[in-house]
Amino acid sequence: MSRLEAALERLRPAFAPGRRLSRLACVFDAAETFLLWTAEPTTCAPHVRDPLDIKRMMALVLIALLPCVAAGVYLFGLRVLVMIAVSFAAGGAVEVAFAAVRRTPINEGFLVTGLLFPLILPPTLPLWQVALGVAFGVTVGKEIFGGLGRNLFNPALVGRCFLSLAYPAAMATVWVTPGGPWPGRLAQYVTAADTHALTGATPLWDLAADPTGVWELFIGRVSGSAGETSAAAILLGAALLLATRVINWRIPAACLGAFAAATWTINSVGGQTFGPVAGHLLAGGVLFGAVFMATDPVTAPATNAGRWAYGALIGVLACLIRAYAALPEGVTFAILLGNIASPIFDEIAIRWRMRKLAHAP
Amino acid sequence: MPLRSSRLAFTDVSVDDGQRVVAGAVLARDPARHGAALVSPRGGRVHLDGGDGTITLTELDPAPVAPADYDRRALLGSPRQRLVAGGAWQCVADAHTLAVPDPDADPAAVIVSTLHLEPFGLRGDVQLRRGLDAFCRGLAGVQSLLDYQPIYVILPDIRSRFARHVRDELRGRAWIRRVEVPLRYPLDHFTLLARMLELPSDGAPVWAMRTEGVLAVDRVLGAGLPCTERIVSIAGPGAAEPTHVAAMVGYPIEQLLAGRVADGRVPVVNGGALTGTIVPDGRRGLDAECTALTLLPEPAGRKLLEWMRPGWRRRSYGRSFLGNLRPPFAQRMSTALSGELRACVGCGFCEQVCPAGIMPHVIHKFLYQDLLDEAASAGVERCVECGLCSYVCPSKIELRRQMVDAMTAIRRGDMEGANV
Repeated sequence: MSRLEAALERLRPAFAPGRRLSRLACVFDAAETFLLWTAEPTTCAPHVRDPLDIKRMMALVLIALLPCVAAGVYLFGLRVLVMIAVSFAAGGAVEVAFAAVRRTPINEGFLVTGLLFPLILPPTLPLWQVALGVAFGVTVGKEIFGGLGRNLFNPALVGRCFLSLAYPAAMATVWVTPGGPWPGRLAQYVTAADTHALTGATPLWDLAADPTGVWELFIGRVSGSAGETSAAAILLGAALLLATRVINWRIPAACLGAFAAATWTINSVGGQTFGPVAGHLLAGGVLFGAVFMATDPVTAPATNAGRWAYGALIGVLACLIRAYAALPEGVTFAILLGNIASPIFDEIAIRWRMRKLAHAP
Repeated sequence: MPLRSSRLAFTDVSVDDGQRVVAGAVLARDPARHGAALVSPRGGRVHLDGGDGTITLTELDPAPVAPADYDRRALLGSPRQRLVAGGAWQCVADAHTLAVPDPDADPAAVIVSTLHLEPFGLRGDVQLRRGLDAFCRGLAGVQSLLDYQPIYVILPDIRSRFARHVRDELRGRAWIRRVEVPLRYPLDHFTLLARMLELPSDGAPVWAMRTEGVLAVDRVLGAGLPCTERIVSIAGPGAAEPTHVAAMVGYPIEQLLAGRVADGRVPVVNGGALTGTIVPDGRRGLDAECTALTLLPEPAGRKLLEWMRPGWRRRSYGRSFLGNLRPPFAQRMSTALSGELRACVGCGFCEQVCPAGIMPHVIHKFLYQDLLDEAASAGVERCVECGLCSYVCPSKIELRRQMVDAMTAIRRGDMEGANV
């Protein structure tokens, strides 16, 4: 694409250090690498490299999320797309601001955060709250720690946590009834004013007393967060991510396994009936959280032993919060608590490995 | 002839500028490496270029044919002394430290690897086909240096006719133990082989050599001649016709590559694609340790949205290209970095591919904060510098270079501590 390269070369001097636009060099760099990738050669051994890079990894996560986006639009209307656009715009603005001030490249992580965040929100959340939430999440959840690769918490979950605590009514009491048979809500735009399409509860509220059918929960034709309801779509995305090794299978396996075991235990031991295991697995955000949020490689442990412990902790906590806290949904907080614990799991696993290495030949 | 190569530094020059020498004369020795010798491959007039660190031979005599054409005055004494003076000893390495071992010490065992698994490197089977008899005689020569220590001969676990022929030839000798290893890089690395054979690193040294080392032993001990020729592979995607050539130390690289390079700008790497070093522009001749010249083309021009393209012609460890659905194929490699430097995301690929069983991402995080002691206890000294961690890293972190720098710093710290 020599014309494109020529055009970029003409623009490049405007962003050189010392010029007025030098702080926006990160934007130019991001645009250039987005359109044309990099042509840098290696300078030291090994001289050949694997063609996978972080941009492509992020792109794979985005592709894996597309079934959830499609399901969300089908079930809850075109507003989901508008929420995604607002999330990208607000999150992107924060990223550009930080990159411009720090003079570092714009990191690709916000592409995933920007798409992930609206999918865990109610479809009728006011757009300004979406923007505020993602800005808060990206700032406090990622940028103040140093950007990509340095964050302790999952930025999307930090944003959601903030919104849940700051605007509890909008986040927990207004949901959209799912679209029916084809074409569902594909051509509709459902806002908070369309009261005929709204409902006050999700299947989680009454799972014990009034269990929703497993098939309905599996394909997602229930009310809930914008992208979380359809287990089928989530599993499609999970299959892609596992096949390309972007996520580690141990985390979702441990999380869902521990969650199922804890649910079953509470059902058989605790005095209350908590709700069927299959229902709990498919309702709410456990599946989405286990596949897309808990597996974020930066905030999850880097050792395999740590990953098992981390997944199990999240599963158990999510079940306990659902069962015994005043909230119907606990995955957000469970994963955030898991993020806090992940460095210590890593530390234990690494120390154990270092002790083994000290005795090796 | 460069006086410095990756392990050797021939600082003790024993000829004068303008002196005429005969093929086989010792031009210089490396005092720090037990007197390993730089042997003149042909007769000629010596020119010392102090600034450049090279010895140039001009007015070359015709190639030596008969034993009498060689200067064999240095080939005296015990077999080990003859190996050192004949330029064969530098082919031997200590398996755990990869340094040139002390020829007078007795090893615990000897590892002979017929495998060269690094991409585009010198191939062991090519050398064996050329001289299997010489190889067997060389093994006998190696055995004559030992008491009853075992010689492990590493062979590939394939069933081709030639492989069976080699196995049959080696059968029936009590002092040879045949070990079969799958053809997967870097299972031919001496340190990994020594660990696999459970030869401890804190006891007697373990000698290791490849096919060319055994052939060199045969040349010095069997034929009584100094080593003046070596086999060098010229390969890589940038090579018009990949081939092996018999060349001498100091052969001009430009002439060697003339007509063999495909079009375009092709950096030349001394060594394999994963562990070699780029030949500097001023380097004119082959150095004493060169076994492969890898020609890797520079990346082709950039296409629109290339990072998102399906990639029918690319494969990755992360199985994220369409090329991963094809059976294994020789994808066209280039020196493309394929991405920008980012912070470590903790994907764990480096740990999955590491053959030494350490965790490169943990060590990277320690080194990022200059915690050398913590890195040492995390096992950085077990690194074999294969380069797979850097190859696989999606954040394009120069892990191999950081490991090598850390190991150098630790060793320097150890020596300073010992001196104090």
